[in-house]
Amino acid sequence: MDIFYISVSATGRLLSGFRKWYYNAAGFNKLGLMRDDTMYEDDDVKEALKRLPEPVYNDRMFRIKRALDLSMKQQILPKDQWTKYEEDGNYLTPYVKEVICEKKEKAEWNKK
Amino acid sequence: LRAFLTTPYETHEGWLLAVTLFHGTYYISKVETEAARRNRDNRTERHAEMIYWGYKFEQYMCAGKYKERGRRKGAWELVSHWLTVFFECSMSTIFMDLCNALLSFIKKDDYRCANACYFFITKLPNGLVIASLENYSPSSKIGVFVRAGSRYENVGNLGVTHILRLAANLTTKGASAFRITRGVEAVGGGLSVTSTKENMVYSVECMRDYVDTVMEYLINVTTAPEFRHWEVADLTPRIKVDKALAFQDPQLGVLENLHTAAYKSALCNTLHCPDYMVGKITSEQLHAFVQSNFTSARMALVGLGIDHAVLKQVGEHFLNIRSGQGAAGAKAVYRGGEVREQNADSLVHAAVVAEGAAAGSAEANAFAVLQHVLGAGPYIKRGTNVTSKLSQGVAKVTTQPFDVTAFNASYSDAGLFGFYTISQAGAAGDVIQAAMAQIKEIAQGGVTAADVTRAKNQLKARYLMSMESSNGLLDEIGAQALATGTCVQPKSAAQTIDSLSANDVVNAAKKFVAGKKSMAARGNLGNTPFVDEL
Repeated sequence: MDIFYISVSATGRLLSGFRKWYYNAAGFNKLGLMRDDTMYEDDDVKEALKRLPEPVYNDRMFRIKRALDLSMKQQILPKDQWTKYEEDGNYLTPYVKEVICEKKEKAEWNKK
Repeated sequence: LRAFLTTPYETHEGWLLAVTLFHGTYYISKVETEAARRNRDNRTERHAEMIYWGYKFEQYMCAGKYKERGRRKGAWELVSHWLTVFFECSMSTIFMDLCNALLSFIKKDDYRCANACYFFITKLPNGLVIASLENYSPSSKIGVFVRAGSRYENVGNLGVTHILRLAANLTTKGASAFRITRGVEAVGGGLSVTSTKENMVYSVECMRDYVDTVMEYLINVTTAPEFRHWEVADLTPRIKVDKALAFQDPQLGVLENLHTAAYKSALCNTLHCPDYMVGKITSEQLHAFVQSNFTSARMALVGLGIDHAVLKQVGEHFLNIRSGQGAAGAKAVYRGGEVREQNADSLVHAAVVAEGAAAGSAEANAFAVLQHVLGAGPYIKRGTNVTSKLSQGVAKVTTQPFDVTAFNASYSDAGLFGFYTISQAGAAGDVIQAAMAQIKEIAQGGVTAADVTRAKNQLKARYLMSMESSNGLLDEIGAQALATGTCVQPKSAAQTIDSLSANDVVNAAKKFVAGKKSMAARGNLGNTPFVDEL
């Protein structure tokens, strides 16, 4: 999902329609999750999670808990509570990018 | 240069130049040729004598004053060499030296020797004071002095200056924390922060050539810190370690308590973060403090071993982002209280003070001289403190080990004067009462002219010696620049001290005796009197 988003730079109307369809087809919005909630938690992401402001982090925890609960009960949310494509914000990606940037800077210095 | 230019006329010796490329600069030196060496070896005694005469003539012609062995400097070296080009072809060295001497004699005014120091101080229209001392040292030291000490904290953010001290290396808008640390290390420099009750000092030191690099980091740290909340949160263990290290020394605790006891506001704020605030200072509070206190009108940029023009440019371009006076600090109101810390130590540390003189006031020097009359620290290790009146007075009442010194602190609008004693728990009462009695004696006129002269000399010596190190010098220049916008020459400071009379000292002692006392004590306080019993 991430790779697909990053590789698209110019958004024509056709392409944006396709992206919206793909988002809904992926299905995590039916559990009330946002895209960044589904990011695989490797070391960089873990570090970025530590840097989230507290309200944002609490919201994320709530969404994940709700999704776990629903998946245990094999249910999905009613349609009006699904996360909409327009509302989905990348709250975590900037932090992850910064963590990766810092790691690169350290590696550069250590090479010298 | 001369060898190069005389080539068309050079017939007998020839020349050989060695060129080295080192760190981007070409170094050229002359190497003696075979012919020249032979000439030098075969020089007749008469020839050598003539050469000597020539040099001596030149030297005496160039001397500035009678009996001074002057050396001509600067551009005239070059001009004299140019002229020797035209005489090189046939004349002996005597003639050359005569010409050199003649030229130098014509213009012998340029005798500024290379180890003079140049001190400049400018005040920009936005209030920033820039001071620099060019001492031609191979290392430079730059400091940014800000009027943002712990007295400018308020009840809601006690301890913010402590966090700021520790946050000096956190990420800024121009460089990440990692880069600041590694960047400063890479050029062999150092970044340090000191703060007092009145000022905060951010200083960098490095070799002269790398001043630009460390200056960039310094400007970043003082003007554009980001205080990322996760980095600030990571400081909490460092605060605890810092406090633990600092309070190993009981004196620090006593002095902090003394200020808490003596003042109602401003100066009663401690230098270290109170325990209940550790971990509670937020990034927003840090930003707010910096915004309201780190303004141009409250800053001074001081440099040692750096050109004034460079420093001025830095000050004008980078340090004027926040203008205005910032938040006015509270006035320090003296209350005269007491803080007693009972613990199981066998040594009692006690400090008794009354109101003293503010820095820069007429009485400040009188209190400083009184401090040295009474005894301001041992001058010989493990000695008997013969010159200290306090020590002599206390030695009469107890045979157990003790230490007593006079305490004098001057702030911008207030001061404290008194004494500090360290004694065995059983003898504490006697020691403190004896010290008080000693000062009372001086207040009644019990000080001789010899005592006052000795104290003046000790004070002057201490002041001048404190400025011998580059750290002390930077601190002194910065504190003065920040407080008054000008710098007092050491000579005139010494003269001001000399102009005091014994009467001033007696008046200072009277003020102490009459003033309301504050006290801080720590240890096993069973035998220690309360402040109202003194």
